[in-house]
Amino acid sequence: MTNIDPDQIKVILATDCGSTTTKAILIQYVDGEYRQTHRGEAPTTVEKPFADVTMGVVNSVTEIAELADRRLVDDDGRIISPATDTEGCDIYISTSSAGGGLQMMVAGVIAEMTAASAKRAALGAGSIVMDVIAANDGRRPHDQIQRIRDLRPDMILISGGTDGGTTGKVVQIAELVAPAKPQPRFGSDYSMPIIYAGNKDAREAVSEVFDEGGFDLQIVDNLRPVLERENLGPARDKIHDIFLEHVMAQAPGYEKLMSWTGAPIMPTPGAVGDILQTVARLQDINVVGVDIGGATTDVFSVFEKTFNRTVSANLGMSYSISNVCAEATMPNVLRWVPFDMNERELRNHVKNKMIRPTTIPQTREALMFEQAVAREALRLAYKQHKEFATTLKGVQQQRTVGDTFSQQTSGQTIVNNMTLDLLVASGGVLSHAPRMHQTAMMLIDAFEPEGVTMLAKDSIFMMPHLGVLSSVHPKAAEQVFDRDCLVYLGTSVCAAGQPKAGKSCFKYELTGDRTASGEISGGEIQLLPFEEHETGTITLSPARGIDLGEGAGKKVQRSVRGGTVGLILDGRGRSLTLPEERSSCQATVQGWLDALDVYKEETEPVGV
Amino acid sequence: MIRALVLLLVLLGFQPAMSHGETLSLSGPANVVAEDVPNDVGGQVMVKWSLSPDDRVLKDGSHGVIGYVIYREVLPTAAGLESGAETPAGQGYELGFSDDFDYEANQPVGSVPYSVNQFLDENVDAGMTYVYAVAASGVGNSFSPLAVADKPVVAEMQYLNLGKLWFFIIMMLISIVIIYFVFYAKRGGTIKVRPIAGLEAVTEAVGRSTEMGKPVLFVPGILDINDIQTVAGITVLSNVARTAAQYDAELKVPTARSLVMTTARETVEAAYLGEGRPDAYNEDNIYYLTDEQFGYTAGVQGVMVREKPAACFYMGAFYAESLILAETANSIGAIQVAGTAMPSQLPFFVAACDYTLIGEEFFAASAYLSNDPEQLGSLKGQDVGKIIAAVLLILGCLLATLATVVPDSKPLRMADMYITNNILGEDGLVPNELKVAILDGELEQLMEEDQDAQPAIDGGGN
Repeated sequence: MTNIDPDQIKVILATDCGSTTTKAILIQYVDGEYRQTHRGEAPTTVEKPFADVTMGVVNSVTEIAELADRRLVDDDGRIISPATDTEGCDIYISTSSAGGGLQMMVAGVIAEMTAASAKRAALGAGSIVMDVIAANDGRRPHDQIQRIRDLRPDMILISGGTDGGTTGKVVQIAELVAPAKPQPRFGSDYSMPIIYAGNKDAREAVSEVFDEGGFDLQIVDNLRPVLERENLGPARDKIHDIFLEHVMAQAPGYEKLMSWTGAPIMPTPGAVGDILQTVARLQDINVVGVDIGGATTDVFSVFEKTFNRTVSANLGMSYSISNVCAEATMPNVLRWVPFDMNERELRNHVKNKMIRPTTIPQTREALMFEQAVAREALRLAYKQHKEFATTLKGVQQQRTVGDTFSQQTSGQTIVNNMTLDLLVASGGVLSHAPRMHQTAMMLIDAFEPEGVTMLAKDSIFMMPHLGVLSSVHPKAAEQVFDRDCLVYLGTSVCAAGQPKAGKSCFKYELTGDRTASGEISGGEIQLLPFEEHETGTITLSPARGIDLGEGAGKKVQRSVRGGTVGLILDGRGRSLTLPEERSSCQATVQGWLDALDVYKEETEPVGV
Repeated sequence: MIRALVLLLVLLGFQPAMSHGETLSLSGPANVVAEDVPNDVGGQVMVKWSLSPDDRVLKDGSHGVIGYVIYREVLPTAAGLESGAETPAGQGYELGFSDDFDYEANQPVGSVPYSVNQFLDENVDAGMTYVYAVAASGVGNSFSPLAVADKPVVAEMQYLNLGKLWFFIIMMLISIVIIYFVFYAKRGGTIKVRPIAGLEAVTEAVGRSTEMGKPVLFVPGILDINDIQTVAGITVLSNVARTAAQYDAELKVPTARSLVMTTARETVEAAYLGEGRPDAYNEDNIYYLTDEQFGYTAGVQGVMVREKPAACFYMGAFYAESLILAETANSIGAIQVAGTAMPSQLPFFVAACDYTLIGEEFFAASAYLSNDPEQLGSLKGQDVGKIIAAVLLILGCLLATLATVVPDSKPLRMADMYITNNILGEDGLVPNELKVAILDGELEQLMEEDQDAQPAIDGGGN
């Protein structure tokens, strides 16, 4: 690792070692600002026969070097650093999700309290949580032990009890883990890392339980010192440390790679979370990010400065596509398709996609069907995210007599679509959709943003690189994020409430680089041209019962910016409901697709 | 007041003398009619008559008649009289009410003061036939001749109180709705019960106790087990105990009644057994403190301050101790969940506790927690009943208001009268003819007044 003055950093090289591809980008200081200038890609070489991740890194960096006409790799195959005018980079950084990323098991006393906090810490650090063990998870101790024995996590995080709280229950959890003797995923010669982040009074007793060997116990501050507050930082940092020291050290070539990097290698999802948090903090906005992959869908959110991440392990567009169809049900998927489709053929299509994950749609119908599946996958993943991103449970409430009829339990979701400012999409089906309009429509249909929300996509999946960069040079990370990482699709203005079909939903007046005014009816969606460089102010006058951000029926004024799609005015209401009757549903969806020119370039007649 | 005194005199002072009295020149009442009271079990007969002409204030300020005395004869069915059949001429007199009726030998069934022209005989047997006679009594132990009812009366029992037919219809409707929803729920239909925060918070509160290594305190109110609120509290206790058994949290239940303690012990033991944790059940944690209200309060406070429970439940009937307990637990940082149907204590609980079950919510807890189709169906059916009651209430208020504002509108007055007297009253399905006639009279009078007033206004205008 190197300590470099951020002001001296002018050339940044970043890689993301994914399971299949290693993606490299070059960021340079051009005309007083940081810009992403070149990118390269090469197959990841962590698996045999190469078994050295640095080979893929060097290959991808070499591609950039050729494109940028700048020598980045020396004759020994090492990345050149520091930079001169013609060669090398000032800092090299990397993330990794190769080999399945970071996989953890977490445990706590109560599933909704300390165990939930432990899960949040693990997910926030970028790991996949394989299982959550808790005293109230409904399983008998022998089942829990068997489960722990069957899993092969990279590390285990144990929490439980407030400081000064229960000791016995925490020791009981430790006594489940110790006899199970779980084996680490990589390397049979090293001890299973255990992070203990529970009641400080139980540290000694927990240490005694793990004394017998085979474990590397690391103790950090309690992640729930009192039930009213979470302290996830120390546990997350320790997870990163162990990820580097133990997990990465065991993966082929990572020891060499770590010696090249100027900042610790981060798990890819953790880095994505970091850049979103950085952007939310610097711009003081609420952000939701989604990365839909073949097997899993990651959802990140920052609301009121609170970061949450969820991994929906069974929602994806290739390996998990069958599960999406099963979970969402086929009628729910098909409601987004504006023509009749043979369900048997569709099922065959789904299974084909599952066993041949790299295939892409060859016809417009196949594309529309795949995007319908994506809508449902995103909707379900976001629903899971909302259920997880909640206020803390077990917290004492302060009431007044005014609360008599409005008492709510703690643990309510903090995800509020009305206060959402920026929705960022990434992942093949979103990033590589033939038309940006399709990405925008999928986002709006699945996430149902309310009020005024900016839509964007990370077309080349640059967020992981910028996440690591944000820990070294936040300013550079933000500039590149804003200018090069995100492709702004446009601004969506969505009415919350249930407008009556055909009746006025809201009136709008756009001023600034472009002027326009008009009225949106209930059930209608409209697209206004509003180019990427254009900005303006929109004044919205909602009808009675319709909320656009200031309360039902109240006038709203917001700054808006354009995008590749434009300004989307959505009067369909929230929550979004489609007609039950099939032909009526098809007509409605077709109307929406036409209004946004979603499949404009396709001129083939509709039919299967 | 004077009437009451006079009646008292009649009953106490004059009655013995009456038996020795003699018939003087008082005019008797007339048109005596005895009628079976409808819609009863056959235990009442209403006797009505026209007042005696002497029932007036004399020049010296005294009353000519000081009361009416009612006599009754049982008519043997062997006499061949059917219920309601007209008495053969003279037959009644032969059965006892003869011209030489001996007031001394016959005990009256009752008496009323002057100016009263009816008497309700509540001491009759169903199925028996009676003949009634009324005599006016005057000063000096004097009596008028007996006025005998033209017809005998049979006290009949009715199996249905037709006067409350609407009540029956509504009850039947609610019962059908309840039965429908019970079967609907049993068939797997979804009955949505809105989330009750106080009950949802049980797991949260017990979880907090577990994490903090502190006990859970459950206070089942200060009344005995015969109080419905205590019973509802015990239902919630069962759920709390199940959660405590799952989470392996310590549950403490101090009681103010010995029977409540016994019930609570059995409930908690069953809950622990049901969760497969009989080993975790500790009988000593459910104990009796005292019947004394504030002695009990002080005892519970002591437990709070010493053991600092992380969760406190107050489920049952509470009085002045509610705020004392809630504030004490608040000061030790416990999550508090209260449930009571005592309106005066609810504001205290709402202000001091984290969650409060209010009245109906408290009683619905059993169905909510058990998710049992029969209970859920019953709950839903009762809700429909409440909706019907609320609709009637609103409709009645509106009609009553409109009928007052527009007094000459016959439809409005009729609707108002129908709701008041038929649906809510005892007039049955069909409007009472007499009341309708009275209403018609009132309306005619109003119209006449309007017509009288109209020319005067017109004349003024011209």
